[in-house]
Amino acid sequence: MDKSELPFLSAGDLSRLIQSKEISPVEAINAYLDRIESEDFRFHSYLTVIREQALSDAAQAEMDIAFGNHRGPMHGVPVAVKDQFWSKGVRTTSGSRILTDFVPDEDATVITNLRNAGAVVLGKTNMTEFAITGFSHRFSTPRNPWDIDTYTGGSSSGSGAATAAFLCATSLGEDTGGSIRFPATWCGLVGIRPSWGLVSRYGVMRGVWSMDTVGPISRTVEDAAITLGAIAGHDPKDPYSSQEPVPDYQKSLGGDLKGLRVGIITQFMESDLVEPSVRQTVANSFSTLGELGAAVEGVSIPMAIDAGVASAVLLAVEPALAQQNWIKEHIQEYGHDVRNLLLTGSLVPAQAYYKAQQLRTVLRQQVLDALEKYDVLVLPTAGKGAQPREDDPPITSKESSSRLGFLFTRIFNLASCPAMSVPCGFDDRNMPVGLQIGARPGGEGTIFKGAHAYEQATTWHTMRPPGA
Amino acid sequence: MADLTKDEIRAMGKAVGLDIQDPELTEVMYSLNALLESLDAINPPGLNDVEPLPIILPPA
Repeated sequence: MDKSELPFLSAGDLSRLIQSKEISPVEAINAYLDRIESEDFRFHSYLTVIREQALSDAAQAEMDIAFGNHRGPMHGVPVAVKDQFWSKGVRTTSGSRILTDFVPDEDATVITNLRNAGAVVLGKTNMTEFAITGFSHRFSTPRNPWDIDTYTGGSSSGSGAATAAFLCATSLGEDTGGSIRFPATWCGLVGIRPSWGLVSRYGVMRGVWSMDTVGPISRTVEDAAITLGAIAGHDPKDPYSSQEPVPDYQKSLGGDLKGLRVGIITQFMESDLVEPSVRQTVANSFSTLGELGAAVEGVSIPMAIDAGVASAVLLAVEPALAQQNWIKEHIQEYGHDVRNLLLTGSLVPAQAYYKAQQLRTVLRQQVLDALEKYDVLVLPTAGKGAQPREDDPPITSKESSSRLGFLFTRIFNLASCPAMSVPCGFDDRNMPVGLQIGARPGGEGTIFKGAHAYEQATTWHTMRPPGA
Repeated sequence: MADLTKDEIRAMGKAVGLDIQDPELTEVMYSLNALLESLDAINPPGLNDVEPLPIILPPA
C-alpha cells in the first residue's frame, strides 16, 4: 500500500498489518511523525513530540515481532497521550505554564502499561489548563479538523484533534466531568470514560480524586476496545484500582442487539439545551438501535439534569484544594477561566460541598436503579455541535459564569459508571454529533457491544474530516 | 438566599489566606453566587438523611 495512506488506517487495521508483517512499526511511526511535522501546525494538537524515543521504541517493536514476540493488538501501534500524564524524562505541563519545566522521573502507570503492550508513544497532547475547564488553554487552542475555525471540545482537546486529524492511530485522554467524551463528540470520534477504578490514576495529575478516569479517544469502537484493554488493570500504586481481571473487550464486538434493554434518559432529550438538529440526529440513532434488535424506551431519572450543579461544586472545590499552594503563590500565572474557578472553589462553604456529595449519592442511586431495568442508558453527549473558538469571555453576571450547560456527561462521572460517546451523524452545520451510552460499573463490554453494532450499521466512522 | 457582596467575598478569601482583588473579585462574586444559588434550589426529599459516599469501591 501507499505508505502515505498509513495514518488513515484504523488502529485495528494497522495492528493486523503489523502482526502479519505487511507493515513494520518503524514504517508506521515514520508515517505519523512525517504527518505530524507537516500538518500539526494547523491543528495545535501536540505540546511535545518525542521523535527519537518513538523511533527507538518502534525499532524495538519491529525486532520483537520479527523474532516472534508479538505482544498483542497494540504492539507497534502509534499512540498520543494527554500531557496530564507523567512521562519519564519528558516535559509534562498539564497544560499549565506553572509546570513548563516539570520533567517527571517516572511514567504514569497508563504509559507504562501502553509500553508493556508494545505501543509506541508519539508525544504529549495539548489540553486545557490542568484539565479543570472545558475551554481555556495556556499554550494554544487545538483546532477541530471538521471545521478549522471551531473548537475540539476539552479538556482532552489535543487528543481529540490529533486523533481526528490522523496524527496518531489512537490516543489517551482523561475524563473527570466529560473531558474524553466532549472532544470525542465534537471531533466525530469514539471516546470512553471507563468505570472508576478500572484504570490506574497513578501519575495522572489530579482533578477530583473520585471522578478522575483515563480512557481512549479513538476513531473506531474496536480501536477504543484495544486501547482500553492495554491500559486497564490493577495497579498497586493506585490503592483504589480494581483487582478484577480485565476482560478481552474485542470479544464484546460483533453480533446483533437482540435482548439488549436500552433506556433513553428523557430529561436530556426533552431539554431545551439540545438543539433541534442534534435531537433529531440522536433520535435517529435510537431507531437504529431498535432495528438492530434492542428494546428501546424512555426512562426518567429525576435528578439527571442536576448532575451539572452537583459536579460543578466538586470540580471547583477539589482542584482548589489540590493546588492551594500554587493559588497563593502563582495566581496570576493561571489563565482567566482557571484562575476564577480556583478562587471560587477556594471559597465554597463546607456545607455546600457536603450537600453536593449528598446529591451525588441520590443521583447515583437513581442511575443504578435505572440500570437494574436497562442494560444501557442513552442520551446525547452534548446538546450542540462544535462551536467557534473564542477567548475566555469576562464574567459579567451570574448567568455568564457557566459555559458547559449543554454538556451531558457528568451524570456518569458522579455515578462512577462507564460511558462512551460514539459518532451518530451531523447537526445542521455539518458538525459531528455524539450518541452517549452509559452502563453499570464494570459494564464496558456491554457498551462496546452496543456501540460496535451501531457503528457497523452506519457509516459515520468512515467519513474523513474535510480539514484533515 | 441573598447574594454575597464583594466585601463578604473578600473576607471569605482572607479567611483562607487569599487576598482577592478586582477584577477577580467581581468575577468570583458572580461565580460563587451562581453556584450557591443553583445548589440551594435542589432539594430532593430526604436529602438531609443521605450519607454522602463519593465512590463505589471497585471489587477487591
